[in-house]
Amino acid sequence: MWNGTISFSLVAIPVRLVKAVTTGRISFRTLHRTDYSPLARKMFCPKHGTVVSPDEIVRGYELVPERYLPITDEELESVSPDRSRTIEIIDFIDLGEVDPLYFDHPYYLAPLKGGEKAYRLLAEVMHRTNKAGLAKFVMVEREYLVAVVSMEGALAMITLHYSGEVLPGDGLAPKDAKLESAEKKRMERSIKNMMADFDPAKYADKRREKVVDLLKLKMKEQAPVEAPALEEEDGEGPADLVAALEEIMREVKKKP
Amino acid sequence: MPSGTIWKGSIHFGDTDVPVKLHSAVKQERIQFHLLHQSDQVRLHQQMFCAYEKIPVPSEDQIKGFEVEEGKYLIVDPEELELTTPESSRMIEVHEFVKSAQISPLYLDHTYYLEPDSDLKAPGYSELAELLQVMNAAGICTWTMRKRSYLGALQASGTLLRLCTMRYADEVISAASLELQEIAVSEKELKIGSDLVNQLTAPFEPYKFVDEHQQRLQKLINKKARGEKVVLLRPRTLQPTPPDGLLQALEASLKKAA
Repeated sequence: MWNGTISFSLVAIPVRLVKAVTTGRISFRTLHRTDYSPLARKMFCPKHGTVVSPDEIVRGYELVPERYLPITDEELESVSPDRSRTIEIIDFIDLGEVDPLYFDHPYYLAPLKGGEKAYRLLAEVMHRTNKAGLAKFVMVEREYLVAVVSMEGALAMITLHYSGEVLPGDGLAPKDAKLESAEKKRMERSIKNMMADFDPAKYADKRREKVVDLLKLKMKEQAPVEAPALEEEDGEGPADLVAALEEIMREVKKKP
Repeated sequence: MPSGTIWKGSIHFGDTDVPVKLHSAVKQERIQFHLLHQSDQVRLHQQMFCAYEKIPVPSEDQIKGFEVEEGKYLIVDPEELELTTPESSRMIEVHEFVKSAQISPLYLDHTYYLEPDSDLKAPGYSELAELLQVMNAAGICTWTMRKRSYLGALQASGTLLRLCTMRYADEVISAASLELQEIAVSEKELKIGSDLVNQLTAPFEPYKFVDEHQQRLQKLINKKARGEKVVLLRPRTLQPTPPDGLLQALEASLKKAA
């Protein structure tokens, strides 16, 4: 996905970026209603009426409606050359000071060859001191403020929102309490009775069960449909092509 | 001014019901790129193609299937899967309360501010916020909004209640999957490293940071649009600290920080 260096003071550690979030749902394929053939996502040129392969695709900035200025990867990397290959920790902070509102998207950093020891040291030291690293880092069109966090011996990197992106919540909360004290006590008792340890797996399991139950039910109601056999060609197209397209879409459309 | 109401629902647990309105807490603005066909600079569209007929398939002709064995699919309407609680109930059901600190930031997704829905007389809002604040607690809840089911954490920030959507556990990859090898780091290196981290600690002041890259990127775009030449700069790369030079680098860093 990305590789470069994470640094603090005079220590530099070669790392690569690894995703920390995936689509966990039992996955479904999109099919053609008429022949049940699986569908593949392609980039389509409306002028040529053809599918366009990843090596023929460039990024473009819309200058005026329908007129685009192509921007190359080299040009993008050139905009902030100090930050496009380096995650430089500016300060260490108490993670408790970061309002969770700021957390955006998490990644992991994995050490590259030769960086394993310094990586281990940074993870262990941040764990001991209960600190996180604050860094700025550029990927494609955006500069990210990130928190580098020690997590189970690994380094996680969470992108943060800028304070300018946080909307005001002033005036939304009521000024006065309205409940009788007996009712408030009852609410407090409810909360205390419902206190538990955070166990996120159980919600994922519940959802999975629900999907499996539904699939079982569907199995009884209907027979599976069969997709037409393809000659030679794989329905998804060459795997690396699909992966490359998805990569580009992710970078351009969503987050880095 | 807070942004407009996104959705209305009611927080429910025990015999408590607090009707609320959701408002966005974060808004992102960034330079947008599109994908172009290199040869003619026409903007490309994403399209689903039928692998068999080799034709583009519009969304109304797309259905979802679960692959039971190779090439055989069970047709499923994904909306059936999403509805955990009927959307019409508008219930944000709290299943349990946990200590806020137990929720790993990897789970947190998108935050909404909650406003009491005054059309529906909403007593209990202030009290709930105060209790969650004092107890450092968060309510783990589920609800169905716009045909999608959500898992979330109900938390207080001062007198304001907030709802943060959470990722499901099977969407969060565990750090163990990185398969990091155990590497010995000396106590001395850890001690100096800790001292260094403490030396370099500062308060978190997010307002100090803006996206400087976007401003520079906009300049590059303007320059290129005027037909001026853009000078390409090579990204800076740092020389990795060698494992046997780590202690020395830490000592030098500490000296520099002092």
